[in-house]
Amino acid sequence: MKITINLMLQPFNRVLLRLPSYLISQCSHIVQTVGQAVGQKISQKISQKISQKTARVQRLASGTALVFSLSLLLLCLSPTSAAHAQDAVLTPRQVTEYALTLEKLEADFYRRAVVAAQSGGLSGVPQAAKDVIVSYGQDEAQHVADLSAVLPALGGDPNAITIPTNPNYSAILGRDPFANPTDFLLVGQYVEDLGVAAYKGQVQNLLAAGDAGKTVLAAALAIHSVEARHAAGVRYLRSTLLGADVNPWISANASSSEVIYNENRMGSPIPFSSDAFDGYATQSEVLALVGPVLTEAPMPTATPRPNPPMPETEDNSTAPAQNNSPRALW
Amino acid sequence: MKQQMTLSASRRDLMKWGLWGFAGLAVATLPKAVQAQSIAQSGTAATLTFNADDIGILNFALLLEELEAAFYAAAAGSGNITDPQELNYVRVLGGQEAAHVTFLRSVLGDDVLFETADLSFNPDGLSAILSDRDTILNTAVTLEDVGVHAYNGAGPSLTNPTYILAAGSIVSVEARHAGGVRALLGKPTTEPDSDRLIADADLVASLNPLKGKAYDELYSPMQIVSIVGSLGILNNPINGALVA
Repeated sequence: MKITINLMLQPFNRVLLRLPSYLISQCSHIVQTVGQAVGQKISQKISQKISQKTARVQRLASGTALVFSLSLLLLCLSPTSAAHAQDAVLTPRQVTEYALTLEKLEADFYRRAVVAAQSGGLSGVPQAAKDVIVSYGQDEAQHVADLSAVLPALGGDPNAITIPTNPNYSAILGRDPFANPTDFLLVGQYVEDLGVAAYKGQVQNLLAAGDAGKTVLAAALAIHSVEARHAAGVRYLRSTLLGADVNPWISANASSSEVIYNENRMGSPIPFSSDAFDGYATQSEVLALVGPVLTEAPMPTATPRPNPPMPETEDNSTAPAQNNSPRALW
Repeated sequence: MKQQMTLSASRRDLMKWGLWGFAGLAVATLPKAVQAQSIAQSGTAATLTFNADDIGILNFALLLEELEAAFYAAAAGSGNITDPQELNYVRVLGGQEAAHVTFLRSVLGDDVLFETADLSFNPDGLSAILSDRDTILNTAVTLEDVGVHAYNGAGPSLTNPTYILAAGSIVSVEARHAGGVRALLGKPTTEPDSDRLIADADLVASLNPLKGKAYDELYSPMQIVSIVGSLGILNNPINGALVA
């Protein structure tokens, strides 16, 4: 997958969504099959489910045009989440590029949090929370560096995987998530839980690739559980610092305010709605959620930009060393 | 059992919180069922043989889940966890491990290698890890961290796509457990190098393209068996191609 700019001009709005072209083609495919009664039924059911799951995000997203565009996309894409959950085949290179996109976003997210913890809306959080921000940010930066190093051997170019200079994080809650600890930790929970589900959603693709997928599978597994540790840590902070009714693990039959993807997936031999089993998310589902963030922020947020900003073209293998900000918190 | 593998650093860590120092103490604190089972089976523990295939791996995962479930059940009944939040964690985590046991047994069906009653726990070893709150919670961290490394390490050897997805759905819950209990203890939710029981040099290179704090490295079943053996809580001999 290559994250490129696709102009998707809906007749109802002029919002540009930055999504891979294959999403668009999948939409076309679905439109062609709309007449099929069974497909329609499944489509409605799943659309409803995913819409419920993302209702919070949609409700709170900034700008009705953006929200409308996202819901259109979901309506369009949701049937693929059922049909392609097990058979949307991504190559190890495509999985790595997809993972690198998410890791660059996560690393950027924490870099901004570090700045906000120094002099912005997060400056009042306890040291334990600052330690978490720094530590998790280092992990994500390490993932970026190492996935970048893995990619060339697979025929990919890490520098071609880019995120916006100012990702539109306000699309998640409809407001700047770095302005206060409550919003930041909630978004952190969404991001980390989604990261866990995103990696889990690719293990079958990597297994199917056989020997060609072994290295990336090993890397993905080693990252996947660390993202779960992050998710647990953020959830613990929300519980202890903010009194949020949340645990390190995802609740049974988790609501859409707890996780923003389809955690309680039915019809699988694995009991995902149980709190003992974490759900997964397909690439389509993840990108539908992340798409609005992968647009340039419409206006500068209240949070000062980290210096240097997210490197877009240089070799990211040196990103942790370049990143001066976290050091200041130690 | 491959006990010859050197785990000097880990043993030092284990001794720090007294895993080896409490043999013979407080057998009375054991839940009756565990105690009776151990006495009934002492000296006659069934050998567990794990083949190097999907069935062997799922049975091996089942063994780890059984150990965790038994540990949390005993911890909850030990009377040594009194803080409401900590007691809730112990109970919920125990319930989730029990759910993993139930799930793996249902997936394995006739291929299940052992029944719960076939496991023989060492009363001295169990009482040692239940001796006080810190020991219990630190043991929980060790078991959960090891569980994460074990699932990660076994994942690439699975061939059935549903099994690897199931393993993934379990391992991230184990990682959440590890993170949660670590947080209770005021530790980092990720595993620092100082807590790692397998040194970088001993990691299977082909399973570990990435190493360090940002990764939960992939431990081989043989390495897991060695660590579990060092905990001193299970009497059953373990062998088979999976752990050779």
